[in-house]
Amino acid sequence: MNVETSYSGSTAVAVVDGRIDSANAKDFDEELSAIIDRGVSSLVVDCGGLNYISSAGLRVLLIAIRKTNEAGGGLALCSVPDHIREVLEVSGFVRLTKVFATADEARASFSK
Amino acid sequence: MLDANLDLEIGLGRDEPRKAVERFEQFALEHELPMGLTFKFQLALDELLTNVVSYAFEQDAAEPVITLALHLTDDRLEARLEDNGRPFNPLRDAPAPDLDLSAEDRRVGGLGIHLTKAFVHALNYERVDGWNRLYLVQPLGAHREDQT
Repeated sequence: MNVETSYSGSTAVAVVDGRIDSANAKDFDEELSAIIDRGVSSLVVDCGGLNYISSAGLRVLLIAIRKTNEAGGGLALCSVPDHIREVLEVSGFVRLTKVFATADEARASFSK
Repeated sequence: MLDANLDLEIGLGRDEPRKAVERFEQFALEHELPMGLTFKFQLALDELLTNVVSYAFEQDAAEPVITLALHLTDDRLEARLEDNGRPFNPLRDAPAPDLDLSAEDRRVGGLGIHLTKAFVHALNYERVDGWNRLYLVQPLGAHREDQT
């Protein structure tokens, strides 16, 4: 797993690739927490390069959704591969966070 | 007629479930299983193994043993996951998550078994002579259309 983040004020886009499971969910949590701790309230997680996520990774996303909601922003996902989208649907995450086709659309949703 | 087996012993380390499911992924690739089916079965194995590795054994468990036996034929993929840890039936003992709750009210966790049940055709549990045994069965016909 690798996370590359670009910042713009209180909005950030984190591009995640590889695999998130119980072996590295803690690292993913630390990455997202560090971004939010920098004052980011609106976080876009770009899943274009994500090829695997288990419930351990979903837990991390849930925590980040809560933190960004509390900060008055939120968390949005974009570029989600079909098989990852199915995981989000089955786990009810599509009701907790919005899913956009592109990072630009996701970012724009926060400025409305 | 296809009749392939993969038998794995799994340790208690945090990255052991990943090692095991990556071996399964390789096995699935060698036998040209559909990608969608491989992903779902891999996720199910990962969730079940992660539960066992994380919770089945006390810190000082005498001789923890976890094994995974995969069996592939032309029409089905089967897995038997065994451990000699504390009795745990994930089908009965894991509370179902309430998917209608808000992010604030959702429990952190409980999703692994939910995903496993959703992604595997049949899942059975039995407790025999001090062993937890989980059986996963996936007919292959139903997923042919997933091939990409």
